[in-house]
Amino acid sequence: MVSCNLLITKFKGGLIVKRLIGLLLTLCMLSAVLIGCGEKAPTGGQSGDSSKDVAGAENTPEATGKQENGKGEDKEAESQTADPLKDPYGLPNDLSAYPLKDNPTLTYWWPIDSFQAVATKDMNEQEVWKEVEKITGVNIEFQHPAVGQETEQFNLMISSDDLPDLICQSDSYKGGVTAGIDDGVFIDHSEIIDQYAPNYKAFRESDEDRRRTTMDDKGRVLGFYNLSPYSEWMWLGALIKKETLDKTGLPVPETMTEWYDFLKKCQEAGYDNPLNFDASSGTVWTGLFCSAYGAQDWIFINKEGKADWGPIQPGMKDYLAEMSKWYKEGLIDKDFATRDYNSKMAFLISDACAVSIESPDTLWGTWKEQNNIDFVGSPYPVLKKGDKPTTTYKHWKNGGWPTSITMECKNPEAAARFLDFGYTAKGWELFNFGLPERTHRIDESGMPYYHEESAMWTDPDKVPLSHRIWKYKIHQGPFIREEHNSNPMLVSPGSYSGQIRQMWTEGTDASPAVPPTSFTSEESAREADLSTQLSTLRSEIFLQIIMGQKPIEEYDKFVETAKSMGVQEWLGIWQAALDRYNAR
Amino acid sequence: MATAQRFEGWRDGMSVWKTENASSGGTIVTAGQQGGPAMIRNDFRRNWKVYVMALPVIAFYIIFCYGPMYGLSMAFVDFKPRLGVFGSPFVGLRYFKEFVTGPYFVRLVSNTFLLNLWGLVFGFPAPILLALMLNEVGNRRFKRTVQTITYMPHFISLVVVCGLIRIFCASDGLINSIIAFFGGERSPLLADSSYFRAIYTISGIWQNVGWDSIIYLAAISGINPELYESATIDGAGRLRRMWHITIPGIMPTMTILLIFAIGGMLGSAHEKIILLYSPIIYETSDVIASYVYRRGLQEFDYSYSTAVGLLSSIINFIFLWFANAAARKMSDTSLW
Repeated sequence: MVSCNLLITKFKGGLIVKRLIGLLLTLCMLSAVLIGCGEKAPTGGQSGDSSKDVAGAENTPEATGKQENGKGEDKEAESQTADPLKDPYGLPNDLSAYPLKDNPTLTYWWPIDSFQAVATKDMNEQEVWKEVEKITGVNIEFQHPAVGQETEQFNLMISSDDLPDLICQSDSYKGGVTAGIDDGVFIDHSEIIDQYAPNYKAFRESDEDRRRTTMDDKGRVLGFYNLSPYSEWMWLGALIKKETLDKTGLPVPETMTEWYDFLKKCQEAGYDNPLNFDASSGTVWTGLFCSAYGAQDWIFINKEGKADWGPIQPGMKDYLAEMSKWYKEGLIDKDFATRDYNSKMAFLISDACAVSIESPDTLWGTWKEQNNIDFVGSPYPVLKKGDKPTTTYKHWKNGGWPTSITMECKNPEAAARFLDFGYTAKGWELFNFGLPERTHRIDESGMPYYHEESAMWTDPDKVPLSHRIWKYKIHQGPFIREEHNSNPMLVSPGSYSGQIRQMWTEGTDASPAVPPTSFTSEESAREADLSTQLSTLRSEIFLQIIMGQKPIEEYDKFVETAKSMGVQEWLGIWQAALDRYNAR
Repeated sequence: MATAQRFEGWRDGMSVWKTENASSGGTIVTAGQQGGPAMIRNDFRRNWKVYVMALPVIAFYIIFCYGPMYGLSMAFVDFKPRLGVFGSPFVGLRYFKEFVTGPYFVRLVSNTFLLNLWGLVFGFPAPILLALMLNEVGNRRFKRTVQTITYMPHFISLVVVCGLIRIFCASDGLINSIIAFFGGERSPLLADSSYFRAIYTISGIWQNVGWDSIIYLAAISGINPELYESATIDGAGRLRRMWHITIPGIMPTMTILLIFAIGGMLGSAHEKIILLYSPIIYETSDVIASYVYRRGLQEFDYSYSTAVGLLSSIINFIFLWFANAAARKMSDTSLW
């Protein structure tokens, strides 16, 4: 009897256990399904992480405040009140509006991409934004789409009826912000800026480039851009490993002939394929090497001031002939056309590579810091010694990232006043250099700098230096940008990437550069169609010529084909857009 | 005499009933055919549970597959997200014309078609061969190990696989090392148009042969083992048995999958192509989907890509129709 009962309980128990396991497994599967449900702005789970951030942030200023009670108090008091700073540019500094009475609340849609996400996942918790909200007296509710889904979420939001007050990167709108204003999504900012954003108005209008690149052809101001007091340095060019100069005994090459000799000598010295030729379309997009022959990579402004196309310039044939000669002799990396980013980085640090076409900021990390390879920048080459090289790259004192006010904003005055803060000297100091004393101090000339104990250098969470630009300051947004002095990659002790970039910018003529024009909606479909065809044609033929699959005579056929595809019509569209831009 | 009759089902439009009779159990085929709605009503009454189970599936197809079809009209307007599909300006066949009269149209269509044809000719028989061979293996442990190893690559992310392919095909990669060992010359394989189809097809086979063979192995396991026994008794060798028993046994599965494959001839898994191609091999690797992708990078042109997608789908459907008609004529199996 007893054994029977035991048997029954054992059997029952086994059944119950089986059922429990089955139930648990089903629940696991169901939860896996639910994880897939879209995430909105990070809430419960994320706030756990960000509260740690806040706690950390609150500790350090208190600590440093206690240490430097005497001096620090004075300095802090100085920077906290609305005392105008003596900044090096004499920026506008009308702080009379702050803090805003009645503490309005605005919603702000801000896409966080994977780069930003390394340092900060929620702008509501970011220390600089919190300080800005405190000073302006405006509460901001940031809305973030899921990382990696920015475009889809942007379009979904636009199609819905529930728009936030402010949208960052409003130029994601199909057709540009100007189409957004036509479609009734954004407001025309001209009037609101005249009335409520005196600092932005003054800074914007103080320079032709800044004025023109922030408005459309109809004369409407499109939003609050990331403007710059100067044209920021070029960031792409030829970088040579220092050791190669010693091994070959040659100086840094300046003409195309010197380049050929230099690469040949590098090859003899043991660098098998010395040039990392980062030109997946056959030409480097800034015009490096090809501009020496008078041919630019794509659209450029020619000497008559008209829009012209680089690939059909006669000099391009000489460029291609020279490059195919280099490729045949092994001076160019054999796999240059098929490398992806990681493979390129691997090639750069290998012994086969002597010269790279890259950004000195990146190579400061990859070559110098990680592999202790010193490097120098070489100027853009020319044909005849003493000529000035040209490029189509130019920074138009506008870093993009416009924030626009939407038609659904009930309080555009508060929105404009809030955004205007970024264009005051105080806003410039805060956005670019982070919190006073915690991240920066100010030197005698009025320029802020990162002191030794700055959080920028001593980051306790070990976020990579390149990403701290989002943790302790804001890298891009609605404010005046101070790239040369606030980017830690440029100002970190011992870094010479800034000098190289300065050398390139001052030594190269950027007059062929095309300003950021805009097309009408009729033009833009036609332009996109022709542009895709011409780009396919150009990249395919140029690469085949360089890699020796087709002879150089193929170039003449290319010019004929391009003409029959409608390159003149296409240039006409660009010229019309250019004329409208210059008439702004 | 009370005869209980149980409804067995429909065969050739006639209802079949099985009688439970003490004296003679047998099937009676009633000559009458019940009308459509009455038929459904009757069936519903008897099998309503099955209908309820099918309801979510039907709802899924209506909501997620048929419902969004109204969005196809995006192809005929200049779509602006703010104005919606029906508020955007009408442009008719502009985008279709643009696509068909473009200079690369013929190349794009032929590349798409050829890439899929290679996949069909080489990639379709591969899992069948693997299933047939695995079926012949006696040692169960070996069979299961081989199965596991062959379908592991299916789970590797496409991005990782393409990264591996790029590394192997580079001048200093594995494949070039093998070529150099046999006296050949090293060259970047992904920069030569004539190799692309081979690389694409072979890597596709490597990744998917194991996974695709599962369905064939399942079909083979459904074949009556008595057939094999009687064939062996009659003196049939291994190959004969395969030819006369196994292959006809999985023929219905093969036919259905072949029809599916033919119905996809003008579409392509463009992510893999975009990860592997570069402008120098556009000649064989630029397909419809990758060109439209580049076009879309310029402009977020929903209308253009919808138009091209609609065109491809129509052509695919025509292929599917013909494949199905051929299958119906030549065998018992077909989709409809």
